[in-house]
Amino acid sequence: MKKLIAARMISQAFFLSLFIYILWSTTYPLKGTLKASTFFNFSPLIMIITSISERVILPGLAASCFILILTALFGRFFCGWVCPLGSAIDIAAVFTRRRRKEDDRFNAKAKQPKFLILAVIAIASLFGIQLAWIMDPIVIMGRFTSLNLIPAITATVNLLLIFTIKAFNYNSAIQDFYRTLKSGILGINVYYFSHSGIIFLFFLTICAFTLFKRRAWCRMACPLGAIYALAGRFAILHRVVEKCISCGRCKSDCRMGAIRDDMEYSKGECVLCMDCVYDCPQHATAFRWSSGKIGAAPGKAGGITRRQFFLLAGSSLFLTGFNFKDRSAFRKTDIIRPPAALKEDHFLDRCVRCGNCMKVCITNGLQPVLLQSGLDGIWTPQLVPEIGYCEYNCVLCGHTCPTGAIPALSLQEKHEVRLGVAEIDRSICIPWAQGGECIVCQEHCPIPQKAIKVQKDVVGDEVILKPYIDERLCVGCGICQSKCPVRPIRAVKVSSRNSYRT
Amino acid sequence: MGVLAGEIFKEKECGMKREGFRPDSMFSRKMSRKEFMKLMLLGAATLPFFKFFSNSAEASTPNFNGRPKRAVEGLYDLVVAKGEDPYSITLKAVESIGGMEKFVKNNDVVVVKPNIGWDRSPEQAGNTNPQVVAALIDMAFKAGAKKVKVFDATCNDARRCYTNSGIGAIAKEHGADVFFVEDWNVVKANFPYESPMEGWPILRDAIECDTFINVPILKNHGLTTLTLSMKNLMGVCAGRRGPMHDNIGRKLVDLTDFINPELTVIDAYRVLLRNGPTGGDLEDVATMKTVIVSTDPTLADTYACGLVDVAPESVQYIEVAMNRGFGKYDINSAHKNFINV
Repeated sequence: MKKLIAARMISQAFFLSLFIYILWSTTYPLKGTLKASTFFNFSPLIMIITSISERVILPGLAASCFILILTALFGRFFCGWVCPLGSAIDIAAVFTRRRRKEDDRFNAKAKQPKFLILAVIAIASLFGIQLAWIMDPIVIMGRFTSLNLIPAITATVNLLLIFTIKAFNYNSAIQDFYRTLKSGILGINVYYFSHSGIIFLFFLTICAFTLFKRRAWCRMACPLGAIYALAGRFAILHRVVEKCISCGRCKSDCRMGAIRDDMEYSKGECVLCMDCVYDCPQHATAFRWSSGKIGAAPGKAGGITRRQFFLLAGSSLFLTGFNFKDRSAFRKTDIIRPPAALKEDHFLDRCVRCGNCMKVCITNGLQPVLLQSGLDGIWTPQLVPEIGYCEYNCVLCGHTCPTGAIPALSLQEKHEVRLGVAEIDRSICIPWAQGGECIVCQEHCPIPQKAIKVQKDVVGDEVILKPYIDERLCVGCGICQSKCPVRPIRAVKVSSRNSYRT
Repeated sequence: MGVLAGEIFKEKECGMKREGFRPDSMFSRKMSRKEFMKLMLLGAATLPFFKFFSNSAEASTPNFNGRPKRAVEGLYDLVVAKGEDPYSITLKAVESIGGMEKFVKNNDVVVVKPNIGWDRSPEQAGNTNPQVVAALIDMAFKAGAKKVKVFDATCNDARRCYTNSGIGAIAKEHGADVFFVEDWNVVKANFPYESPMEGWPILRDAIECDTFINVPILKNHGLTTLTLSMKNLMGVCAGRRGPMHDNIGRKLVDLTDFINPELTVIDAYRVLLRNGPTGGDLEDVATMKTVIVSTDPTLADTYACGLVDVAPESVQYIEVAMNRGFGKYDINSAHKNFINV
């Protein structure tokens, strides 16, 4: 009975399911008991770094400090027992041979890069640049779950059920079941996200590192792991080995390479996976509150060499260099951001690219940007009216944002927020160019006084209603562009001109 | 890939075996050429299956020639009921035209098709009054209906429309089947005459029923001046409905001819006078507390025009219906009944 390993696995499965469940329920009407930002609030990397770089106090700081205190008590339990990316990496490790040689010199070097990455992120945050999003594990896992995993599952289940209904019979119990699913857990939308394949590749690469070295990402690169490693050094919970015969089984089985040749271990690297407890042929390894024979000494702390210091200073200076340029000069600016998003420079720094807003967007209109807003704007949200418009009475995106890059608006505030302004291209608009009947845009315009007005023109012997935009009223929601029947280029387009950014 | 993986995961000297360790896994050894070929062929063999699968999922839609014309005659051509409570005026109006038993037989499947097109509250009069829908569902069940379906192809997000219009909750409460329309669950419209609607995808649920009750709301509309019963039938069309707006009068009359609603109940309890069909401003809403019931969609629509002082000829589909002799439009000669509740 490997009780502790079973407990760890149950914990991993529970938190991974919880993570997916929370993101799954991040959809209209957003009535879940846990907020979409729950896991992100428990990531000290995002919360502390963003708070420093943006000079704000984020509400998630309290949760982050709480988990840091827990880490100081128990060690890096988050990585081994909770972290959803860590669980995904452990699942990927099923494809590897378990036992491999661990080399002390390699292990000592391998744990260094993550501290360097954390230091770069921390120094950049002092200069007002938020880089935590690039490598935060919660963000990576969240983006994968929202933009890849859940759409793939819904699409597959949807297709399978449609196939079954079509192949056998309509109006059967299967169809009733399908409708219950659609109006409930499955949701009516099958989501699509542009270039989600690249997001998937990013995630896959990180998981694939484990095929070469177990938990390679966690022990080498993860900056959140680095924070926990720093806090976990002071952990009260110790690994204690009595009657050690130096057989080395625990060492070769350690997924984090935390155990050294002298059978001591670096506490900051241990994720409490509990494998070594059951590897020990003497049954003499345990985790205890008090220090024992072996493992008491923290050993040589993972400090920083002179060469690393210069590398760190150099790369930080290089990165801060971005801040002194006018970053908007090279940026395509006509990107429609979510309602009342922060001003572009601040938005790019505040947004952690978690994908919550895109997941919750009721029309699927919020899509990840690839390179349109520059390299530093990758995977930020933009509204693509061809795919979906901004629902006039919907405020969900702001309420899922963990860092406040999109403010949480009330319905009344939202009604007055401009995303941009619509423009009609009269050279292709059906009533203007062909004298046909249409005005679908005017029909759909959600503004109570109609931001799209019509003028009556006599064409031949017919009265034709031609639409035009009242820019004083238009909020740029994009429903006109979304519903415009003209193809392939829509006759009415929203641009981000006059958009309201907080 | 197999070879590469084999090289990376070379067998190593390993003394102890552990649980969960699979020495024979694909990645743990080199793959022979034969094995590689086998794997590739196996992979290729799944392709036709996948094609079959996706073809079945997007199978060609069958043609359908339109619902049969049951031509149920009511006691009156047109019944207009006025009163404080939308539920009871609907009850009284349908009773007066002959009762729901005339239209719904035992074990019938009934479609009640309200307007749930917009993310608007009942007070904003963007959608049919939920009480009117509830009354019709109750009557249909009382007349012996097996199943009452309530649905609409919405313009805003369907979940928001069903919730905020109040119809989703109230219809479920009264026992109806409320569901979101499925774009793939359609038939192709087939007309005995030449029609611009030929081949348009129509929701299967709308035509596979014994009784179709059309429950529009009377309100302003940009292109057609008013949305009435014929315009409300656009909610049974799937696909991209934007192009339907060209030559809309002709298309809507053909569609009405295709669907053949047995009963038309126009909700004019709250009427959106301007900025339709979405509305949103309560000042644009007038309370008329009226329900119009008829077996003839053209007659009901023509009468409803009079309520808001619109010339019936200015509404494209009524004009087309008049020119084609589709239904009756002469209100003065129609057999009418006015009730006050």
